[in-house]
Amino acid sequence: MEWAWLIPVFSFVAFPLIVLFGKPLPGKGAPIAILAIGGGFVLFWVALLGYLNVVPGVNNCFTSSATGVFTCDYRISWFHAGLPGLEDSVELAWGMIIDPLALVMLGMVTFVALMVQIYSLGYMKGDPRFSWYYAYHALFAAAMLTLALADNFLLLYVAWELVGVCSYLLIGFWYERPAARNAAKKAFIVTRLGDVGMLLGILLLWREVGSFSMLDAFEAAHNGVLNQGAATAAGLLLFLGAMGKSAQFPFHVWLPDAMEGPTPVSALIHAATMVAAGVYLVARAYPIFMASGDALLVVAVIGLITALLASTIALASTDLKRILAYSTISHLGLMMLSLGALGYTAALFHLMAHGFSKALLFLGAGSVLHSTEEQDIRNMGGLRKPMPLTAFLFSLGALSLGGIPILAGFWSKDEVLSAVSHNMNPIFIVLALFTALLSALYMARAMFVVFFGPARTHGHRHSHPIHDAQLSMAAPMLLLGVLAAGFGLISFNWPGSYQGIGSFLFFKEHEGFHITWWIAIVSTLLALAAFFAAYLVYVRQRISLEGARTAFAPLIRVVENKYYMDHLYQWLVDRVVLVASAAIALVDRAVVNDVGVNGPAEVVGRVGIAMRRHVTGHLYSYALVMTLGLIGLAIFWWLRAG
Amino acid sequence: MDFFTAIEQSALFLIVLAPIAGALLTMFTSRERPQDAWHFAILVSAITLALSIFIFVQYDFRAGGYQLTHIFRWLGYPLDINLSLGVDGIAAPLVLLNGIILFGGVLVAQTIKRRSRDFFVLLLALGGGVFGVFVVRDLFFLFFFYELAVLPMYLLIGVWGSSTDFGTFRRTKEYGAMKLMLFLVAGSVLIWVGILALYVQAWKAGAPTFDMSTLAEMAQRGDFSEGLQRWVFPLFMIGFGVLAGLWPFHTWSPDGHVAAPTAVSMLHAGVLMKLGAYGIIRVGMELTPAGAEAWMPVLIGLGTVNVLYGAFSAMSQGDLKYVIGYSSVSHMGYVIMGIATLHPIGVGGAVLQMFSHGIMTALMFVLVGAIYDRAHIRDINVLNGLVKRMGAATFFFAIAGLASLGLPGLSGFVAEFMVFTGAFKEYLPLAVLAVAGAAVTAVYILRLLARSFFGEADPRWAHLTDLSPVEKGVAGAFVLILIAVGVWPEPLLRVINTGVASLLKVF
Amino acid sequence: MAPLVYFQILSAALFVIGLYGVLARRSAVLVVMSIELMLNAVNINLIAAASHLEGQGRFLNFDGHIIAIFVITIAAAEIGLALAIILRMYRNRATVDVDEINLMKW
Repeated sequence: MEWAWLIPVFSFVAFPLIVLFGKPLPGKGAPIAILAIGGGFVLFWVALLGYLNVVPGVNNCFTSSATGVFTCDYRISWFHAGLPGLEDSVELAWGMIIDPLALVMLGMVTFVALMVQIYSLGYMKGDPRFSWYYAYHALFAAAMLTLALADNFLLLYVAWELVGVCSYLLIGFWYERPAARNAAKKAFIVTRLGDVGMLLGILLLWREVGSFSMLDAFEAAHNGVLNQGAATAAGLLLFLGAMGKSAQFPFHVWLPDAMEGPTPVSALIHAATMVAAGVYLVARAYPIFMASGDALLVVAVIGLITALLASTIALASTDLKRILAYSTISHLGLMMLSLGALGYTAALFHLMAHGFSKALLFLGAGSVLHSTEEQDIRNMGGLRKPMPLTAFLFSLGALSLGGIPILAGFWSKDEVLSAVSHNMNPIFIVLALFTALLSALYMARAMFVVFFGPARTHGHRHSHPIHDAQLSMAAPMLLLGVLAAGFGLISFNWPGSYQGIGSFLFFKEHEGFHITWWIAIVSTLLALAAFFAAYLVYVRQRISLEGARTAFAPLIRVVENKYYMDHLYQWLVDRVVLVASAAIALVDRAVVNDVGVNGPAEVVGRVGIAMRRHVTGHLYSYALVMTLGLIGLAIFWWLRAG
Repeated sequence: MDFFTAIEQSALFLIVLAPIAGALLTMFTSRERPQDAWHFAILVSAITLALSIFIFVQYDFRAGGYQLTHIFRWLGYPLDINLSLGVDGIAAPLVLLNGIILFGGVLVAQTIKRRSRDFFVLLLALGGGVFGVFVVRDLFFLFFFYELAVLPMYLLIGVWGSSTDFGTFRRTKEYGAMKLMLFLVAGSVLIWVGILALYVQAWKAGAPTFDMSTLAEMAQRGDFSEGLQRWVFPLFMIGFGVLAGLWPFHTWSPDGHVAAPTAVSMLHAGVLMKLGAYGIIRVGMELTPAGAEAWMPVLIGLGTVNVLYGAFSAMSQGDLKYVIGYSSVSHMGYVIMGIATLHPIGVGGAVLQMFSHGIMTALMFVLVGAIYDRAHIRDINVLNGLVKRMGAATFFFAIAGLASLGLPGLSGFVAEFMVFTGAFKEYLPLAVLAVAGAAVTAVYILRLLARSFFGEADPRWAHLTDLSPVEKGVAGAFVLILIAVGVWPEPLLRVINTGVASLLKVF
Repeated sequence: MAPLVYFQILSAALFVIGLYGVLARRSAVLVVMSIELMLNAVNINLIAAASHLEGQGRFLNFDGHIIAIFVITIAAAEIGLALAIILRMYRNRATVDVDEINLMKW
């Protein structure tokens, strides 16, 4: 598996190829990107089989004492900072780590990226910047794979920033729209704020451990070289980066706006892969969080707050993509909560199940948007008739995320809730169950309103009839649908050696498959109740919400305004950052330049003007001064001699 | 002695001689055919580029130390002034940088129409001065070349510059040129005092000399008392710091940029400001190490102010050149911080940042110059939607901008990361502030991109044409360098690491 | 031989008269003449001092004479130049009043 470094390289090479030569090629360069990511997907299987069959002790593979996981690490030298051999010099490596966590991310990223890129063939057809779209996708795939495989924090950070810039470019892909431009800028800057923390965390780890290598850092955290205070500081700083990327409160504001990008991009980057990178980072740096303890609690609390806030906003939102975006934020919060509650396996299992389901939902939403050119669910309804396949698959995704049994989302959510109930204060499980209920509710609302309710034609602006997804869009959705339905199967013990996902993906020790019955039953009942209620409200229209709307009007207004978080940020930018900047610029002009520079210049000038008065031009005045000088000198000598 | 060895032995002399002789020869080109001067200047700068690449490649980073050394004896005892040449791992990349920027600057100076012959004479003389500072090992000649690099600036800006009315205030080219000149000359006065102080001290120690290697040895032997070094180093720190844009002496720089023509801005921000930082390293740190050690906390504090102050100032500017000018102030802050860490990674990062920022900022000025030539305006609130008409310019500017905000994969990241690393080890709180400054950079760069380059196409700018082939070539080459250094910085870093390691042996 | 001090008093008197002329007269010609007076006062002083030294002993010291001759030479050159300038001044401005000629300032 020494070739592991090759996995991202395909897509890295594809990027300049498409930029430089894409346009004239058949398919405008899209096949290059798809081939590259397809190659990545193949390599994932090869790597997985290689990892399962590798012999311990050879090929740089060993069981890490810090994580308890069998890990392979391959690196090639990248650059040296400081002369090699001297104290404090570091070698930065292009290093790839192959362990279950990396493999899981690798598999999901390559698969979803492949699906989305195929889907985009139809979705983005005819776009004037089609080649650029695929070039960005190739770069994103390359960076995301590097992120998943990086064996040192610096490489991780490099990839982290690169996926951020791809996200920026793809959100702002239709930059003619001011909303897209601003959303792209906002996304980049907000995540960048988190990244500042992350870079500081990385540097702090280097300062404490003396290496950027993750394995070294984990070792240090494991055997106490990294003391608890430093571990807490480093963990929290890293978590800042994770909060930015994974849109955790209070950095969640960028993700809903990011929906301005093309919908396949939302499916890939802003639902399944990049936003999950924060969760991945916390999972990856788990030994550090474990060494701290306090940091883990912060992760759990932030996760819970995020999950609750986002799911309430999702209920109040009327934009189909934004409902999905808030749902994503909420589920990412649940993953963080799970990590904070020591549910390592559960969090990652949910990451995958959510990734497949949410990608499916977004692609379904994309299919709706593509066909109706409408994003507001109030203008949709009854789409089940014209687009049955999309309706079926979207419902599948919604039910899965809503937590209806035997679908993937049910199993993973159940694991998460179970971890929370075992390891946290009871208040956490109550709120988590409440979030699960809300999650089922908004999913049901979106699904019923868009596809099942009465058909609404007003606001239908286009001429051509509504059609179902074409083949290039339908096929990826079908494949994702299969996973959204059946992915839960991997969590069970199967006959033979496979002992459930907990035996493959674990921290420290294997986790067997277990189900906490009371939670499974309660959460299922809640989900069913939510779907039934939504059915009554939106399809049968038996219950009117008007009464509730008037009763809770102020509360609804707060939620509809997203708890005024955007306003707060806008205020901070306008009233603090820009004002500070303007003040400094003014100081530079008025104080440093006009006083500090022009001031002395003015003084010199004025002194000169004053001094030149003595040059009268009159002969006698010069003579007088000379004489007086002479007399003065004479007196001086006389006095001295005397 | 074959041709190759001959070149090798005289490469450093030639690289200083070529532009200066070229400048003199350019005077003899025909005034009637201004293109001649341009072509001749291209030839000269191509030769220097080739020489600079040769010098960089020829430098053996395994051996380290000063290489390609040569001494031309001039004045003996008691002055002991000799043209002593040599490059080390810090100077070699900067020689390369100057070769690249000078060539690029001459190429894009095609747009200079008025008195173009005189322009190229001065530009080449300036380039020769910069090369001289980088390769010379004698304080007298260092000062001489330093002045040679600085003085043409006055005429270049005063004659070929542009005056702008900003509504609330005006910046004429004469003002910009005068301000720049007075600041830099005031800086040189401090430097000259410092140099003479060292010379006198060397005399007292029994061996009067201007030779830097000898003086460095004397400093190591302890011939320069700590008290002396403590008051001499700040002379160098501020004297050279003025040129490096050290806060609060940075103010000449943005105004100079606004007034200067494109090629001059490129050299000004690309290499001239690096002379200052280089001077602090070469003269300040090497000859007065104890003074440097005592003053570094002050210097790193000022550097941090540079970073944040420059970034915040850039955010509120309305003129493209002011934005880049203040961003240069901010980025030079990283260089200053890196130097002040006295940590191998930090100082290495500072040198790499000099290289990286030189290319990046020169690239930005090429593009801004191109836009200004076409639109005759640089106001970012008026310019918008340039991407429609100037796709290539937008593409290049976006990459330069991303390099500026420290995007991995481009050269700025590696350099800034190294500076942060060094600073983090030595001055943790300041490092935290500097990292935060990198986020502020993102704000103003993205704001600029969103406002002026992307955005609705404005019919006012419908007549703009995209970059000319020459501009495309120069910008494309710069972008390739940014990417190459960002993706694989090792070829530069291994040379820099060697130089920095031997520099820091004293500390 | 008359005591040196007589000559010095004469010299001082002449010098002061000259000085008064330079400071007080308005006509450039008179100013030049007053300068001549001052120069000659100095000459008297020099010659007197030189002969006084001579009277004290052997004829040893020519410094006074030499300088006096220098002064006379330079005074001659100077007066030529000064009168030429005054002449031009008169031609150009129809006056030799130094009060009215103050071109040589800022």
